Amino acid sequence: MSGKQFFIDRYAELGWKFKETELRQSIRINKTNAKSKNLPERLHSLGVALEKIPFLPEGYWIAKSKVSAGATAEYLLGMYSIQEAAAQIPATLFTALHGKMVLDGCAAPGGKTVQLADLMENSGAIIALDASKQRLVVMANHLERCHVSNTIIYNLDARQATKLNRTFNRILLDVPCSGNFASDSQWFYRRTLADLEQNSKVQREILSEAVKCLASEGEMVYSTCSLEPEEDELNMDWAVKNLGLQIQHIDCIGVNGLTEVFGRKLDSQVANCRRIWPEKTQGFFVCKLRKVPVQ
Amino acid sequence: MRPYEVFASRFGAKVAFNSQFILEKSQRYYLLNPRLKKVGQEDFFYAGLYLGKVGKNGGFFPSFNLLNMLVDVAANKIVVDRKAAWLFICGRDVFRTGIVKVMGSKRKGDAALVLNEFGECLGFGSIMDILNESEGKVAVKNVLDIGDFLRRETRGKF
Repeated sequence: MSGKQFFIDRYAELGWKFKETELRQSIRINKTNAKSKNLPERLHSLGVALEKIPFLPEGYWIAKSKVSAGATAEYLLGMYSIQEAAAQIPATLFTALHGKMVLDGCAAPGGKTVQLADLMENSGAIIALDASKQRLVVMANHLERCHVSNTIIYNLDARQATKLNRTFNRILLDVPCSGNFASDSQWFYRRTLADLEQNSKVQREILSEAVKCLASEGEMVYSTCSLEPEEDELNMDWAVKNLGLQIQHIDCIGVNGLTEVFGRKLDSQVANCRRIWPEKTQGFFVCKLRKVPVQ
Repeated sequence: MRPYEVFASRFGAKVAFNSQFILEKSQRYYLLNPRLKKVGQEDFFYAGLYLGKVGKNGGFFPSFNLLNMLVDVAANKIVVDRKAAWLFICGRDVFRTGIVKVMGSKRKGDAALVLNEFGECLGFGSIMDILNESEGKVAVKNVLDIGDFLRRETRGKF
């Protein structure tokens, strides 16, 4: 089961009317590196007009630009990163990151790792994992460009995170997913229901492993850029029922997570997730989890 | 002396990192913070602040983290104007006409950091003929510039 109409019908069943989306390029200012640099003004002088993204602390859309945003001296000096607007959300959902021990489970190419390091002001430690060595090369360059100093990278699948023999105060799981049509024009022609089910299986394995590494008072953020419930709400419903996790309320754009999917009723906590249908951003799904306290 | 210390000395600079916070893997050097030092394990891919690597020919290739650290301690620095800065990032050499200020050595063959008008390090070069006012002469030969991040994307290396 696949094809554009198949997925459009699914979205309609989930309560969203399909519309084509044109994504805007967005950047995130790396506060640590751009401190007292007056970056928006510097970019303006290069012919880059920025528009503040209202729901992100350091996010800007590029309204107009005479130059490539990925080739300015300011970019190469690590003052900002090019990062899709919705993708900037997960790292901002953690509380009190300063000095914490953080696991970034599926880290490459490192946009969110750099953001976490910036939010932590390079304090504490981030352990970043990724299964793909090739993607880690890109990530290493990203970390060097942004002068990240609190991160250690391992070429390790997040499904083996317990090999690290550590617990973490904060865990980010921006899991591998099927993506969405807004950021991939061929998406409808590439994806099948079988892909989603395979991804969902891997995502649950990652969740199961990560929860073993989460400190009892720790916070875990789970995100995908998939619009498919198999990778989103159905996984979270499963996590609540099988992993002893509870879903926290978060202050974030988007709509509540679906609590009824294709006729199946889910745990009411799943409404605390946020589903972001493509409009101003790409499609996205995000939620924050904690372990259920032991009585 | 460690390779990064020898490299720093080429700019008239001295760096002294506590050796217990230095990790070396495959001739690459990393500086850890105390917290990372506690979690550091052998089989890492990248750790802390990358300082640079020793290449196949035995030469040291500094990271931009290390060059940044040298800005405050290096003696040899040149400040270039906006146009020269842009050309330098594109991999071009620096001509005398683009130089705003010279600090430290003017001797041929010495290394100098190349800074933009804001004092930010764009890379480094080798001094060629810094006193020559004629337009066609290269004053500082480009050795490494931050445009390398873009070139690495095509090479797929770090």
